[in-house]
Amino acid sequence: MSLDANQPPALDDLIVAIAQHRDKRAFQQLFQATASRLKAFAMQCGATAADAEELLQECMLTVWRKAHTYNPKSGTGITWLYTIVRNKRIDFARKGKYEMVQSDDLWPEETGEELEKDVASDLEASVVRNMLEILPDEQRQIVFKVYFEGKSHSEIANDLDLPLGTIKSRLRLAMKKLDTFAKEQMTWLIIILLTNF
Amino acid sequence: MVNYHPSDELLMQFAAGQQSDALGLVIACHMEKCASCRQRTALYNHIGGELLDHSTPVEVSDNLLDAIMSKLDDDPEERNFEAGNIVLETKQCVPRPLRRFVPDEFSKLKWSGLSPNIKEYRLNIQDPHYTAKFYKISAGKELPQHTHRGNEFTLVMQGSFSDRAGDYHAGDFVLADATTIHQPKASEMEDCICFAVTDAPLKMTGFFGRFLNPFLS
Repeated sequence: MSLDANQPPALDDLIVAIAQHRDKRAFQQLFQATASRLKAFAMQCGATAADAEELLQECMLTVWRKAHTYNPKSGTGITWLYTIVRNKRIDFARKGKYEMVQSDDLWPEETGEELEKDVASDLEASVVRNMLEILPDEQRQIVFKVYFEGKSHSEIANDLDLPLGTIKSRLRLAMKKLDTFAKEQMTWLIIILLTNF
Repeated sequence: MVNYHPSDELLMQFAAGQQSDALGLVIACHMEKCASCRQRTALYNHIGGELLDHSTPVEVSDNLLDAIMSKLDDDPEERNFEAGNIVLETKQCVPRPLRRFVPDEFSKLKWSGLSPNIKEYRLNIQDPHYTAKFYKISAGKELPQHTHRGNEFTLVMQGSFSDRAGDYHAGDFVLADATTIHQPKASEMEDCICFAVTDAPLKMTGFFGRFLNPFLS
């Protein structure tokens, strides 16, 4: 792997460089490339600008300390960063309250176990990047509300002034579409892979 | 082999980190046993990654990077709570996500009896929406026929039980709601221990059910 100065390096490579070489320059580049979006994500989840920066700081320190747990074969760098900001958000809201559920309870640290379909997810990671774009607006809107607002179906129904059944069927359609799409991609990739050998 | 799984909606909420504490723990316990749900959750994490990728950037304070760089060589704070992923010999049979919330192995818990053959243990999980309990049904015995006012999410941790809809074994995730009327029966082989999270108390339907009901609510 080399970090080419002319081309912005891929996040995945930066994370690997941080893990393998404790590379502070790669860390700075990763910060430059992602900090403004991590902050934006936290604010979309309801954090104030100040809290979002505190969360961002904790995320980046976790990136530095846990970079070795990143496995490029199980997902993209941005997905790994997503899991960090998600977990830090959970723990931020429960700071010091260890009688409450912490992100470590819900998601064990990587133990090196590969998922069963690791080859497929490796392929998925490199090619399937825009699953959300295939969703119609009305379905995407619901996915947003699930991820950013943690809304239940009935709350979403209230927000959008729609019957609960409509929300449920839209979400089900979205799931089905994403699943079918992922499987199609996977099938194509496996065909491509097989014909290349 | 795990045969009963959480719905896609539940897995998406889990991957979004947006589940109520107790419900999140049931899903996490299931995931520990279920490679296919771990795989499916990876898909929903991927969607989370896309949402992050597409977030409209917000300007970050100038000095933040310097502040972070100055902390890189600090020792990380000591974790001052017992981590869930430390394997405690005495609690081997308790699913990893629950180890911080359960003081001892199943046989040493302070079970309270609903009847000689049905016991429960209430977990101290702070959750405004759900109550979390273990149920233990003695081998070969059954719960009184009952239905539910709300939703009950159950994970089989040990042994197995069956009702008219199916047989459930360790790792299986079972949802019962107001439309379910069932009479779960533990297998003859061993006691069945389940982790159940409920958003409303059970509503017993049979004679013994009505008799038992006041103790449940």
